[in-house]
Amino acid sequence: MASPDNLIAALFVVTAALLLLCVLRPSLTATREGKILAFVVLCVLPLACSAVGFNAHMERSKSTQFCLSCHLMEPYGKSLWVDDAKYIPASHFQNHRIPAESACFTCHTDYAMYGDIRAKMRGLHHVYVQYLGTPMQPLHLYVPFNNRECLHCHLGARSFEESPTHSAMRADLISNQTSCLTSGCHDTVHNIAGQGSVKFWKEPN
Amino acid sequence: MAGRDALTGRLRVAGAIAFLGVLIEALALLWTHPTAFLAFALIGIPLVLLGVLIFLWSLVSAEGIGE
Repeated sequence: MASPDNLIAALFVVTAALLLLCVLRPSLTATREGKILAFVVLCVLPLACSAVGFNAHMERSKSTQFCLSCHLMEPYGKSLWVDDAKYIPASHFQNHRIPAESACFTCHTDYAMYGDIRAKMRGLHHVYVQYLGTPMQPLHLYVPFNNRECLHCHLGARSFEESPTHSAMRADLISNQTSCLTSGCHDTVHNIAGQGSVKFWKEPN
Repeated sequence: MAGRDALTGRLRVAGAIAFLGVLIEALALLWTHPTAFLAFALIGIPLVLLGVLIFLWSLVSAEGIGE
């Protein structure tokens, strides 16, 4: 079966070929059938290409590869390979608690209404700052990490629910009064500053 | 006849601009990078829209053709 990528490629190739035909042989559009062809080729197909391509870019922007393609993100990508279970992103990534191919997006999107759109808008802001502004040093989140993003998966999970510590703090965790990451429990996140003194895991081939 | 020639010319321009837009969009899809997304959204899509608009404008402004 044809993959979505192949179908998208076919759409672009067919559109480009037909557009070229209309440009080189505009006399084709003189007949009634030709006018219908011109409408499809000069209006419907290019708009379809834009819509399909935009959607493909949106999906692709969720990929770990996309996030780490920015030079600034390299150390954050490297932190996914730290050989230490205390590193929250590394332990999630290496144990496939999150999809490895969309590791950054899975934790840094908002699990709320329009959360994906807000994540994309933040992504566009990153691009703006990268090209037209000055990236903050050191890099940090625009707003503190919301427990909602952790609890989206962990709430209801046996390992979370059966932990006495979690049970005691459950209400505070849900209401975001106590942060999962900065309350002294799971406070080793990317820890870029300490990257010089850690071992890295090598995935076996 | 002159109206038909004008329409043909506009169709050519519309087709060429839309072709360029589709080409840029296709090239941008080959690369997974924020710059590729910017090229797609800020160059490819506007060119496609411009081509489509010129095509639609050429249709509504083609007075007398086909009468």
